[in-house]
Amino acid sequence: MSKNNDGVQLIQLRDVTKVYPGAGGGFTALGGINLCLSAGELTAIVGKSGSGKSTLANLITGIDRPTTGEVLVGGTAVHALDESRLATWRGRHVGVVFQFFQLLPALTVAENVMLPMDLCGTYAASAARARARDLLARVGIAEQADKLPAALSGGQQQRAAIARALANDPALVVADEPTGNLDSRTAESILDLLRALARAGKTVVVVTHERDALRKFARVVSLVDGRVAEQTHATPALLGEVRL
Amino acid sequence: MRPRPRWQKLLRDVAMERGRVMLMTAAITVSLIGVGAVLGAYGILTRELPANYLGTRPASAALEIAGGVDRALVDEVRRHPGIAEAEAGDIVLARAQVGEDWVPLLLFVIDDFGDLRLNRFTAENGAWPPPDGTMLMERSAGPVLKAAMGQSLRVKTPHASPRSVPIVVPIVGIVHDPGLAPAWQEREGYGYITRATLTLLGEPATLGELRVTVSDHPFELGAIEAQVNQLSRWLADKGKTVIEARIPPPGKHPHQNQLVGVLFLMIAFSVMALGLSAILVATSIASIMGRQAREIGVMKAIGARTGQIATLYAAFVLALGSVSVLIALPVGVAVARALALMSAKMLNFTIASPAVPGWVFAVQAVAGLVVPLAFAALPIIRSSRITVREAMDQHGVDSAGPGKERPSAAVLSRFLSAWTNRVSRTLILVVRNTFRRRVRLVLTLGLLSAGGAMFMTALNVSHGWERIVDRVYENRAYDVEIRLNAPTTVVETLRTVAGVGHVEAWGFKRTALWRAGQVDIVRTYPDGSHGSLTLVGPPIGTQLVHFPLLAGRWLEAGDSDAVVLNHMVLSQLPGTKVGDEISLSVDGRPTQWRVVGIVEEVGAAGVAYVTDQAFLRATGSAGRVGMLRIVTTATTPEARTDVIRAIERALATGEGSVEAVIPLAVLRTAMGDHVSVLINMLLAMAALMVTVGMLGLASTMGSNVLERTREIGIMKTLGATPGRIARLIVGEALLIGSMSWLLAVALALPLTGLVGQTVGRLAFRVRLPLIVDVHAVLGWLVLVAAFAALATALPARRASRLTVWGALGRV
Repeated sequence: MSKNNDGVQLIQLRDVTKVYPGAGGGFTALGGINLCLSAGELTAIVGKSGSGKSTLANLITGIDRPTTGEVLVGGTAVHALDESRLATWRGRHVGVVFQFFQLLPALTVAENVMLPMDLCGTYAASAARARARDLLARVGIAEQADKLPAALSGGQQQRAAIARALANDPALVVADEPTGNLDSRTAESILDLLRALARAGKTVVVVTHERDALRKFARVVSLVDGRVAEQTHATPALLGEVRL
Repeated sequence: MRPRPRWQKLLRDVAMERGRVMLMTAAITVSLIGVGAVLGAYGILTRELPANYLGTRPASAALEIAGGVDRALVDEVRRHPGIAEAEAGDIVLARAQVGEDWVPLLLFVIDDFGDLRLNRFTAENGAWPPPDGTMLMERSAGPVLKAAMGQSLRVKTPHASPRSVPIVVPIVGIVHDPGLAPAWQEREGYGYITRATLTLLGEPATLGELRVTVSDHPFELGAIEAQVNQLSRWLADKGKTVIEARIPPPGKHPHQNQLVGVLFLMIAFSVMALGLSAILVATSIASIMGRQAREIGVMKAIGARTGQIATLYAAFVLALGSVSVLIALPVGVAVARALALMSAKMLNFTIASPAVPGWVFAVQAVAGLVVPLAFAALPIIRSSRITVREAMDQHGVDSAGPGKERPSAAVLSRFLSAWTNRVSRTLILVVRNTFRRRVRLVLTLGLLSAGGAMFMTALNVSHGWERIVDRVYENRAYDVEIRLNAPTTVVETLRTVAGVGHVEAWGFKRTALWRAGQVDIVRTYPDGSHGSLTLVGPPIGTQLVHFPLLAGRWLEAGDSDAVVLNHMVLSQLPGTKVGDEISLSVDGRPTQWRVVGIVEEVGAAGVAYVTDQAFLRATGSAGRVGMLRIVTTATTPEARTDVIRAIERALATGEGSVEAVIPLAVLRTAMGDHVSVLINMLLAMAALMVTVGMLGLASTMGSNVLERTREIGIMKTLGATPGRIARLIVGEALLIGSMSWLLAVALALPLTGLVGQTVGRLAFRVRLPLIVDVHAVLGWLVLVAAFAALATALPARRASRLTVWGALGRV
């Protein structure tokens, strides 16, 4: 997967549906989704609770599989990969940021950032340590490197989670409600961080329900009842300048 | 260099889960110590016991020669083809006075103490050889003879008249004879004397036994029998008649099979304990991985493959196993040595080297590393294969899936709903909580019930043993048996003794299975009791014995060729059934008998019962009596002892010789002594399994409380008091304990049957009666309840002290 190819369609979802089995024939979370997202684009996926936005993000990261349809990310048919290949692919090409940060409590912040490099074998131990410190410095929490996550504030933990998402220098970063557990000021700074990533060439997909934040995104995909109801593109002027 | 992050995680997980890690390590360690101890003892004993026994150079056969054996004949036999070694000797069943009582004393007559070639023994203390008129005593005989080196014994021999004065024989040395069962166990003394001493004791100076070892296939019974028959014919050609050949099981100590059998039983139980501890590890790992499902999901989300996750947790189990192995290896060796020493003391042999064989360490190490990993493999693989989404959706409750309810849960719900208005909400919650983690519940129940079943089995078997030993009394209605060679007038003499209620004269003669053209062969050891066969003639209508019939009938008046065999004979005549014809040798002549019945006779060697008339006809012993069975009027053991002493005094004034006086109480004590150690070992194994079971319960309850922290917080917000929370936790443990008790009772029944059968057959060749010890059943209920309360005290306390904020704040 190439890492700097603005304009190229990085993510393609073709006729994607997702049905969760259950009583009464199951629940359709997504139905007939066709979506293309370009490389280097900062995209927000919005919608009400239960609209299918997290499911959509999970399909892009390979965390979940479509019931029907195809999910292509950087030319890789994500829907067709087995679990093992999927894990390796995700580790190398996708950075995932969760709402509740999901840092491993037993590891220090730096070790959390080093973990993807260790699991994917992308950097030697010493290089991984230096890179982790560098990434933590880039997200502004270098001094927290040797602390356990529990010692950090929510905003700091989410910054650490973003640093971890960047560990293997992925082309795509997907964040599911990254500000959902943060106060508005901290949330603002986290969104600025994600915008900066997009400016730096990453394709960033953010699931959010915060309407106020949408002005910061280049593209907004609105979901209603599992379907794409609307797609809007913001003007560059609205986006402002934030550097990472 | 610092470990890579994933291994850092492993190390910190161990630190964070230290309570559970300690429980798992303790369980594996305890069971590994059990495995190491039993295997180590097995390794030591199976090396040292044969070494001790074979070190005595046991004779392949002892031939009783009419007219005795001289040195010239021994020299000739040594040159005989197929004979590796030969030696003359004799064994005299004498009696020694101990206080006011007389106990059997086996005197081994040695031709030349300076050139002991077969059935050797070693000096431990004092003189060697013993001067004429003195004796050496076997080291295990001290407690029986109540004597020590430097003291003297008053001894009577078979050919000495009862009226003759006992000879005083000083004990001038102590020897160790590993070829014999311990004297204290057999309730007889062992002494070693010169031929001159034998003469001084009033016995003929001849040595009646020719002991030989065969050179070809010395450990094959068939080869020995063939050689003995060939030698007997050669001796007959030289005018020497072989009365009987005694061939013990080749190369085996009298109690070797029993020891190995018991050790195998213990190995089986220790392996079972190891399996249980491995189950505990598996459940704990499943619990840990369940709680870390989100972490696993996150690791997978950032690139971890299933194999990497599985390797991480497998390494966790291997680390636990390694620590357990490191602790269990030295402790297992120490316990193995103690166990081996205890067994050696029990069997009267010396352990030359307490070294535990290397293979034991290897097995222990492999068992400690592989068994827990093998059991944990399934939960590790299952939990490692969880997808990111499944991991993120984990709620920590065992469910069938969204919108579904397991059928068993549905039944339980309906049942509980029906009782909602009648029982307390706390109880309903306890029951529901207990069944939430069904797999874990099943495994915990397995652990606890196996431990409980073993506990009850050990006590049941112990009581079964006591019951069978009690049969010594139940099946025998006399107080004392006297083996003698006296005129029948002795019966009238004894009837006049105060306290004697009833006297019966029984025919008694050692016999052997007759084989045409072959010498009489019996399967006895040098002590003459293990594996012997006796022809006994009780008076028709005797009420002094009531042996349970296994087949056919008891003797009746008019039976002329009928024989009733006890079950011990069947080991020498396997497959014999009612209606078969058998031939028994009486004084070298064949006598034909028809089997009319088979009885179970616990506490005896092989006995063939015929009517007294048939006995007289077969043995031609009219006017003589070989055995007396006497009922006393005494009602207390002390009074009975007084009557037996009075009988002894009366016999001393009569004619003939007394071979042995065996009070029934002595027989019962001897049987009890044979197995007390075995029962203790079973209880030790039970303790091992109980320990593992309790650790399992503690681990389960710890996991349950930890997983429900959030729920506990919610309950507290709804008004649950700390006391109610604690009652819920302890109640759940008590419910699990109670269910395990029911299962344990059910499991103990077949297990008692199996162990009882094994132990009974090893000891008496009969199945022990299946007895359910009510004290054991109720005792286990109390124990399991107490342990359940104890095991949950800490988690219950922790849960009840949780603040709402602390509980709800946990992820």
